Amino acid sequence: MRLKQTLNTFLHSRSFLFIIVFFAITAFIPLLIRDNFFLTVMTLITIFSIYAASWNFLANSGQGSLGHAVFLGVGGFASAIIGSSISKAVNFLGTSQMPVGGLSAIILIVALLLGGLLSAGVGLLIGLACIRLKAWYLAMVTFGFSVIAATLSSQFDSITQGINGYTTTTLVTKGYPFYLLVVLFALTSISVMYFIMNSRIGLALRAIHGNETEAKMIGVNTTKYKLLAFVISTFFAGLSGGLYTYFIRLIDNSIFSPANSFLPLIMSVIGGLGTVPGPIIGSIFFVSIQQISTLPSVVDSLNGALGPYFPNVSNVGPPLSLLTIGIILIIIVIFAPKGLISMFQKIYKYLMSEQKNKETKPK
Amino acid sequence: MDLTAPTIILTLVWGVAIGCVYILLATGLNIIFGVMKLVNFAHGQLLMISAFLTWTISVSLGLNAYLAIIISMIIVALLGVVVERFTFRRVLGTDKLNEIFVSLGLIYIFENVAMLIWGASSKQVTSPFYGMSVSLPGFSITYDRVIAVFVVVAALATFGLLLWKTKIGLAMRATSQRNTTATLMGINVQRVYMFTFAIGAALAAVAGGLYGVIYPFDYQVGALPTIIAFAIIIMGGLGSIKGAIIGGLLYGITEQMATLFLGGTWGSAVAFTLLIVVLIIRPNGIFGEKED
Repeated sequence: MRLKQTLNTFLHSRSFLFIIVFFAITAFIPLLIRDNFFLTVMTLITIFSIYAASWNFLANSGQGSLGHAVFLGVGGFASAIIGSSISKAVNFLGTSQMPVGGLSAIILIVALLLGGLLSAGVGLLIGLACIRLKAWYLAMVTFGFSVIAATLSSQFDSITQGINGYTTTTLVTKGYPFYLLVVLFALTSISVMYFIMNSRIGLALRAIHGNETEAKMIGVNTTKYKLLAFVISTFFAGLSGGLYTYFIRLIDNSIFSPANSFLPLIMSVIGGLGTVPGPIIGSIFFVSIQQISTLPSVVDSLNGALGPYFPNVSNVGPPLSLLTIGIILIIIVIFAPKGLISMFQKIYKYLMSEQKNKETKPK
Repeated sequence: MDLTAPTIILTLVWGVAIGCVYILLATGLNIIFGVMKLVNFAHGQLLMISAFLTWTISVSLGLNAYLAIIISMIIVALLGVVVERFTFRRVLGTDKLNEIFVSLGLIYIFENVAMLIWGASSKQVTSPFYGMSVSLPGFSITYDRVIAVFVVVAALATFGLLLWKTKIGLAMRATSQRNTTATLMGINVQRVYMFTFAIGAALAAVAGGLYGVIYPFDYQVGALPTIIAFAIIIMGGLGSIKGAIIGGLLYGITEQMATLFLGGTWGSAVAFTLLIVVLIIRPNGIFGEKED
């Protein structure tokens, strides 16, 4: 009964409307702007908004992870390996070269979900190890796990092929069909996470974030809820890892790099920590800056203008874009700790009050 | 692989030499944490910048590598003052997570500025003692590693004198105990913070110079040492200098032993497993106190 009620209020809330409208628009924009580069950027944005949202979900319970790349990697490797083996098995039974159409899409979805589940399993174990840790102790230990994951992955190279890179089987046509699948996953994932954040579980998690001892005193089973947050977050992180792997069609050990662990954190903080649109806005921002700096025309003009000053670098684009992101991150933390979303809200409120003034002034 | 006594002794000695570099980095991180209650995740990037500066100074000015370390130390200390003044001071006392975020921003800035200036290829500082080693029965060790140990001891001794025998050291210790009371006693806490950060950066710079002499390095080299230094502090106990020394040696020896017995890729993984085990048993470190 209570679940039904929560579901009802959830379906009628403004944030849910925002998610639906946003992803509906996202799904159709590439049909208007037919450009390969644009589609790549949009796909990456959508994949990373799941990843950032999963980190944001965990942060909402007061647990800041610095090792989320573990789950990105586990989900990626698992879904790549599972997808290949299922399609091999199906090929063996069937006659065609590749499983066709709907079937291969189903295989991909199953592989992605299994990858997410495996990642959640790993998340449960790591969550158990981290249950008593706080702030930077937690940050350190989760980071430590990403170092261990990279080592393990190269140790079991016969399975993961992480040193040379594991090439995925193409199951859904590259381009728009795959993009639609990604958008669908993002829509469901972010809605589910938002729904949980607004349910009793979310309330418990916010209570734990506020003050763990007090939450325990009023009867919240903090251990259970913290673990639950870990499992849910790592499931979606694994899912995004799978999507990412199938998008770039290759996964190697570099997926466990610290940069990948910092990514969702930076996106969430730039966009707005603890909010629903925050990770999405952050992802748009980050991926756009990074991808635009790889555009041939931008690269040429940047190298032409700045190349002579930096003779040791062949391409100034990537370091410059990351440098910009670093500076923006610090500026946002210092001047707008609630992220870009708070700035948008301020502008919106300002504009609305202007309008009201105009409406009331004529008298 | 022959696991003879000399090999194991050599590994121990290497562990001590590497541990020493980490101790220096950890002590810098530790004093910043002790006084400012701030974890600077970008500390390893100061090490990286210093390694590059040492390389540039010793190559372009043709200076002795060990003299270059001193110049690099002064530059990095000034850099530390700038960083503290314009970034950390503004978020100190707000949410703890903000400090982590600012550090991450600094990591991106330092790494990419270093890449723009020095490029992506790896470099190594050529020391005047390149290729020379001390021969002992059964094994030999390079002069540079021996010198590294002495430099670390000298740096730590200077740091200890500064902390325990000078007025600013007294102010630092007072601030580390309770900054509000220190303010009431007439200590300019902001200035103490600035000074502390500069000292921490200087220690990281010395570590960076030594690192650059012992190992090849590139612009991404800072990330792991930061984490290792932090692991050392946690193992030894936050705020305790003796703890950092013990933790550093423990870490260096564990890493080298794991490399010897399990192979190269296991070094840092085993060391981190040690850290994780320590933290699972004692969430606030071995000598750590309960948070208030």
